Amino acid sequence: MDEMLKEFLAESAEQIDAASTQIVAFERHPEDAGLIASIFRLVHTIKGTCGFLGLNRLQKLTHAAENLIGALREGAKATPEVVSAVLAAVDRVKAVLAELEETGQEGDSDDSDMIALLEREVSRCKGELADEPEPAAAPEPASIAAIAALPTSEAPAAAAPAPEPAPARGAAAPAGAAEPAHGKRAETIRINLITLERIMQLVSELVLTRNQLLEITRHKEDETLKSPLQRLSTMTSDLQDAVMRARMQPVERVFANLPRMIRDLATDLNKKINLVTDGGDTELDRQLIELIRDPLTHLVRNCADHGIEPPEERVRLGKPAAGTVRVAASHEAGQITIEISDDGRGLNKARIQEKALALGLATPQQLGRMSDEEIYRFIFSPGFSTAEKVTNVSGRGVGMDVVRENIQAIGGSVALSSTPGHGSCFALKIPLTLAIAPALIVEARGQRFALPQHSVVEAVGVNGGEHRIEFVQGSKILQLREAVLPIGSLAELLTLDLPEESCGEPEQLAVIMRVGAHSFGITVDAVTDVQEIVVKPMGGSLQHLAAFSGHTILGDGSVVLILDPNGLREALGLEQSRETAASEADVARVGGADKMRLIYFQAGAGVDKILPLSNVARIETVSSDKIEQSNGMMLTQHQGRLMPIVPAAPDVMVKEGDNTVFVISPDDKPFGLLVDAILDIVDEKLDIEIAGEAPGIVGVANFNGVVVELLDIAYFIDMSRTPASADVKRESRLLLVDDAAFFRDMLSATLQASGFEVVKAESGAQALARVAQNARFDAILIDVELPDGAGYELAARLREAGCRAPMIALAPFASREVTRAAEAAGMAAAVGKFQRNQLLDLIRACVGDDAGEFAFASGVAA
Amino acid sequence: MSFEASRIVSDMPQNAANALDGYFSIKVADDLFGLPVTRVQTIFRIGSVTRAPGGPRDIVGLVNLRGKIVTAVSLRRRLGLPYEEAGSGCLAIGIEHGGEAFALLVDEIGDVLSLAPDTAIAPPPHIVRGRAKFAAAYHRVAGRILPLLNIDAVFDFSGDR
Repeated sequence: MDEMLKEFLAESAEQIDAASTQIVAFERHPEDAGLIASIFRLVHTIKGTCGFLGLNRLQKLTHAAENLIGALREGAKATPEVVSAVLAAVDRVKAVLAELEETGQEGDSDDSDMIALLEREVSRCKGELADEPEPAAAPEPASIAAIAALPTSEAPAAAAPAPEPAPARGAAAPAGAAEPAHGKRAETIRINLITLERIMQLVSELVLTRNQLLEITRHKEDETLKSPLQRLSTMTSDLQDAVMRARMQPVERVFANLPRMIRDLATDLNKKINLVTDGGDTELDRQLIELIRDPLTHLVRNCADHGIEPPEERVRLGKPAAGTVRVAASHEAGQITIEISDDGRGLNKARIQEKALALGLATPQQLGRMSDEEIYRFIFSPGFSTAEKVTNVSGRGVGMDVVRENIQAIGGSVALSSTPGHGSCFALKIPLTLAIAPALIVEARGQRFALPQHSVVEAVGVNGGEHRIEFVQGSKILQLREAVLPIGSLAELLTLDLPEESCGEPEQLAVIMRVGAHSFGITVDAVTDVQEIVVKPMGGSLQHLAAFSGHTILGDGSVVLILDPNGLREALGLEQSRETAASEADVARVGGADKMRLIYFQAGAGVDKILPLSNVARIETVSSDKIEQSNGMMLTQHQGRLMPIVPAAPDVMVKEGDNTVFVISPDDKPFGLLVDAILDIVDEKLDIEIAGEAPGIVGVANFNGVVVELLDIAYFIDMSRTPASADVKRESRLLLVDDAAFFRDMLSATLQASGFEVVKAESGAQALARVAQNARFDAILIDVELPDGAGYELAARLREAGCRAPMIALAPFASREVTRAAEAAGMAAAVGKFQRNQLLDLIRACVGDDAGEFAFASGVAA
Repeated sequence: MSFEASRIVSDMPQNAANALDGYFSIKVADDLFGLPVTRVQTIFRIGSVTRAPGGPRDIVGLVNLRGKIVTAVSLRRRLGLPYEEAGSGCLAIGIEHGGEAFALLVDEIGDVLSLAPDTAIAPPPHIVRGRAKFAAAYHRVAGRILPLLNIDAVFDFSGDR
């Protein structure tokens, strides 16, 4: 018999019994309002369930009975006639229930006599009440009618969806009838949930103990122990299975409230919608059933509201007037897939794009590059709704993000596809149970962690072979086939300490995971095992750790923490939208102008070296056999071109095997800088004391108490260019005024590399002196944040001193204020110190534009 | 990696009649504290410790106590005393607090003392704030001042996150 029908019978029997007892009690204590309210609720519940199950006869009966009880609730006197009528109705309901249990059918006896009796009593009660003003009496029956869904009393619009649940049910009912129908009540007992949970918990403990025993005896050859242990093991597994099954419930329980909802929605929205459910008997852990209820309901609502077109529009499009929302559950590979699809208009790509732009989630350029799938995924962003009007159904922009979050929280995922004009489909993938999950046991820095398998896609070897981790803009990237994946080290994300004795080669494996729309990798030292783990939630004091979802005890008795793929994704910083990422970077630049991201490495015998990470385009590992010597220069193939490689220090040699090379790309002619080893990447403030006597070294810096040398990239740029390729033209001379040595050197290196001659000044006074010494500057770059008089003032004073060269204001960030102030001070332009290309363009423009004028000016001066 | 199990030193019957008003004297470094016997479930030596990266500093990690995962807290760290890396063999007191099972790592566990209300004294006023919260009351016993451990404060990490 239909699972739901069985449950309904068990439940209703109890409710009916309770109702009749209470009715009798009410006759004796008519003043007890709580009692009548409780009776009303009981009958109402039965009626509601009948509505879901399409038990029309029972529904009509209970509806009439409910009306009468409703009248009592509103204050009508509980005369013996009334109570008798209610009790008679209760008896009739019982009889129908018995028949239903027996045959699976309601039977087709006529209840009109009973209904007439009840209605007579209702009108008598109403007449009695007529004298009084009707408090809430009018709205009450109206809402009852809405719930009762009696086809006769409903508006025609609602009549259409009403017969809709019939097919699904029609299929179930004969199946139910075929089953032996006796003694239903003896077959099911209701167990308190807490009891069930307790049993589950005990079984979990038993499984753990069994695992421990197996581990201990694995290496023992004691036959007397082995065979009972084997039996214990099998039985434990069976017991675990049985208990798991006791917790399983058909997904139908969630489907049960969908017909009602669709019906109400159809009425509210003036649409015709059919609901088709499939695979309702698919079983799922009861804990999960509850957890997917809201997301599922939300998705179905969305399909009905956004997806299905109004009937007129559908007819015009040549579709059947009634739209179909299909909800199908299936079981595959240890997961449940629930698909919610509609045959409506599909997602509106243009509107999603518009909205994404309006919300600043993407730029038009980004949108242009995105696939349809990527664009559709925006609907999962918080606050995203493209509904033009907010209905009470949906369109409030809360929801889809919550849906995705809820599903991910239980280790599931949401996939989305859509065809314009043909509808959309959401596929929820949900694990069977939360309590026991297969997990990879991974190791990082000597500590083991469990990684739930549901989000693991694959594990690949890295740092050697074809998969290599590269640094791009300071972040680790793994190129895997077509995909470019963000990757992080588990040890680094969790800031694990190094163990006393390091074991083997670290981080040789990347575990690729997918969480929602994100794919990413985590490097670990090893995957030691795959085990079924019993997930236990973290205790309160550690619950806030996002990286872990719980802990478990492994077969050997040791405790391991269970990694939360969602938490790892967050730790990698993948949740940030592009825009916030960009603006935060700007803030970081403005706020901490002196703090820079630096790469800290070894090159040659001297002290360790540093470079601003921004100077390094990529870090590559180049095998020694790929490096060729030609014309006294090392060369390697890089992206189909020959790229020169220069050693970062004279004594850096090519090593057998892999070599670390920084790819530096000042313009479109990249070159490699050969180093010995990367030590670290840090955000640090640098105190540079200019030394500069050694070639290729800008200066010596104190770096956390350690002396390091800052490399002069310009020197290496020169080195990498053979005289033929170097198109250096030192005709334009620039004066660079900046008090920070670091920027002075950084910028001068950049400018020199671009073919300018640069004269540096560290103060306004020095700048004035330099101009006085030699007025022939083609352009002057002034840091507007100079300490001894702002840069603007210096500009004015330079002008007074007769300097006619165009001046460019340098600021950490070219804000509007800076631009305006620069303009007011008679400067040609303002630019951010880090906007290298813009700066170069500006200088070239200034130098070019003013060349003639300058010649004239200098001619006058001469 | 070999696992070492925790070893039970003594199990506390929850309702031992003679212990209702008794206090264990526990010792860390030179500090002595009173701990209500009724709160103590087990005394054991911890086995292998699994660290909880990112967790509060005073939480040493997680240990397996008879198939149950308990959160190990170092009282030395909690009190800001010098500590060594806690590991296998450390003496621990099993205490349940706020639905979570804890193992409080201490140096020594002494006798059970019976405290009468009249031995209570006012808290010394000059105790530094960081330490003061860990004492629920102070008693003068046998010429010595015995602070009673404030278990709620010891296991409240809301300020440490």
